[in-house]
Amino acid sequence: MSSITAKAGVVTPAAPARRRSKIDRGHWVGLLYIAPAIVLVTVFFVIPLGMTAWMSLHNWPLMGQHRFIGLDNYVAITKDVRFWNALKFTLYYTVIVTIAIFAVAFPLALFVEKPRPMNGVYRTAFFMPVVVGFASASLLWAWLLNVDSGLFSPAAQQLGLTEKKFNLLATFNPAFWSIIVMVVWKVAGFTMVILMTGLQSIPTELQEAAKIDGANAWQRFRAITLPLMRRTVALALILSVAGSILAFDQFYILLRGGPRNSTITAVYWIFNQSFVSFKLGYGAALSMVLLVILVVLSLIQLRLLRNPEGT
Amino acid sequence: MKRLTGLLAATATLLSMTALASAAETANIWVRADGSNFMPQIVEAFNKSHENQIKLDIIPNAELVQKYATSAAGGTAPDGLSLDLIYTPAFAAAGQLEDITDWAKSLPYFKDLSPAHVKTGTYKDKIYGLPFSADSSVLIWNKDLFKKAGLDPEKGPSNFAEIAANAEKVAALGGDVKGFYFSGACGGCNIFTFTPLIWASGGDILSEDGSKATLDTPQMRDAIALYRGMVEKGLVPEGAKTDSGANFFAAFAGGNIGIAPSGAFAIGALNTQYKDIDYGVTFLPGKDGGSSSFAGGDNFVVTKGTPKLAVLKEFLDYAYSLEGQTLLASRGSLPVRGDIAKEALKDLDPRYQIAAEAMAKGRTPYSVVFNDIINSANGPWAQMINEVFFGDDVDGSIANAQETMQGIIDAGTGQ
Repeated sequence: MSSITAKAGVVTPAAPARRRSKIDRGHWVGLLYIAPAIVLVTVFFVIPLGMTAWMSLHNWPLMGQHRFIGLDNYVAITKDVRFWNALKFTLYYTVIVTIAIFAVAFPLALFVEKPRPMNGVYRTAFFMPVVVGFASASLLWAWLLNVDSGLFSPAAQQLGLTEKKFNLLATFNPAFWSIIVMVVWKVAGFTMVILMTGLQSIPTELQEAAKIDGANAWQRFRAITLPLMRRTVALALILSVAGSILAFDQFYILLRGGPRNSTITAVYWIFNQSFVSFKLGYGAALSMVLLVILVVLSLIQLRLLRNPEGT
Repeated sequence: MKRLTGLLAATATLLSMTALASAAETANIWVRADGSNFMPQIVEAFNKSHENQIKLDIIPNAELVQKYATSAAGGTAPDGLSLDLIYTPAFAAAGQLEDITDWAKSLPYFKDLSPAHVKTGTYKDKIYGLPFSADSSVLIWNKDLFKKAGLDPEKGPSNFAEIAANAEKVAALGGDVKGFYFSGACGGCNIFTFTPLIWASGGDILSEDGSKATLDTPQMRDAIALYRGMVEKGLVPEGAKTDSGANFFAAFAGGNIGIAPSGAFAIGALNTQYKDIDYGVTFLPGKDGGSSSFAGGDNFVVTKGTPKLAVLKEFLDYAYSLEGQTLLASRGSLPVRGDIAKEALKDLDPRYQIAAEAMAKGRTPYSVVFNDIINSANGPWAQMINEVFFGDDVDGSIANAQETMQGIIDAGTGQ
């Protein structure tokens, strides 16, 4: 930061004009205001990002010497079948979980948006799981889903639903859907709050006018609510998609990437390469690839959900 | 929790003790949490009787390699380290360890040291690690359940057919009782307990120098058939499918399992924490008899360039003495000196003798990419064992694992 301000000082010629110096002073004050933000972003984002990019050009083992290998890591990624499989699974998970979250969060938002008795209780209850960390939530569900000492499997057996204990985490589909249920329980409340603020920003006159014109509830939802919530939906969507693509904790803690390595996400694979195989350089290269993918996806979403007027 | 507080207390006392003796030289060493049952005790005993001191840190198992690597990079690595023996080649290959060939060969009992440890401690004909603690895999059975099932409680199974037959009889008791247990989603557990079944039948999963994966063998298929058969008959608890090692010991300790492959460590743990379980210990057998074992444990390695080599030598000399070996054995680590093993074990539970014998005959696979191909929860070995024990396509799973494993080996050695 200091280098930036210093540079700015050098660039500024000693202009005697009063107007000019006033503008300059404005610049300085402006810079001063954003200085803390710039420092934070530089220290915690730009520098680490630069280091990651730098590391990705090296063979960088956790132990021993690193050496520069140019783009070899990136070439290796193109042939890394397990990474692309992990990415495929991550995208599959992202699509499913995003649909599931919206399918639950939208009705919840519509429900809690209207004034009704006990509204605060409902809102709090739906939002509660959000404040639990993903790791702790995963541990809680690890217990719930445990075949011997958990809740679901022994309960199902005792209720006579299954003949013997059914291990929910032993095959792909039950394990995958268990995770989906857990994630929806965990984050739907957050999406609900975002969508709720969007709903609340829609002027009631519009709805009332439509009502008078004889539009039914579904028509009002489609023609008024949804279009006016475009930006809110975009925000919720981007947050949900980015969060899902970076999913790791739940698959690591609950499933360890199993059953049979079928639930390894992209970040899980990066973690494995970096801290199980100790190939930090390769892990860094994978991270850069994932970053690019994420940025592209976010741009596409922003474009698709842009207001028609371009605002 | 109780263990944890005990551990903390032990470390705290050690810290305070070492703080007092600042005149003499102090060497720092690390051990993984698995060693917390014996390491604090032997360090304490050493510190009491020696002027030079050892300061011990206990590191969680899963973090040891990362922690060591980062502190080595930052110049704060410990002087010595009690390291899971299978990691020794990888550490040596990374250039982190001091060549201790001369020291090792000067020990009068060098030829009597556990061969499995010395083999994994050797990299490119130089010695980087010396045996410290030892654990061998064995088969344990629940004598009470055997009695109830009408089996001879004093006779453990000695071939595949007997394992299956005994497990079936025990499982027939019904209720929560099952015949057999293994951690079906744990690569590390199964390299320890499942490969000896293959070895004892005459097969192997890696070539001698670790350069070739040899998974597709008749011996492998026989051992798989044994496990699959028991799973199909419902002799194995449902939880085994997803057990990534958490229940490796606890399942048998619960008292509802007839037979379980386990390790020498279980003897110490059962004797101290589950006194009411009456169990027997025998060798892991081959298909038609014979026996084998995975010789596991820790190698003691020295950080390259440490100035405290003399202190570490003193400490290791003490650990190798009869006093040291007896102390280690009494805390559940088998003796690593073959010449005095019998003497060190003579006053202990006789079941240790079987584990010690298994250790002497034990084998250890050699690979610089052991973690990637075997121990990793997402490695080819872990995936294969789960697929072949519970899945539908044994041939495909073996072929897939063989290919992936060989790929990792080729990439790893080419680095």
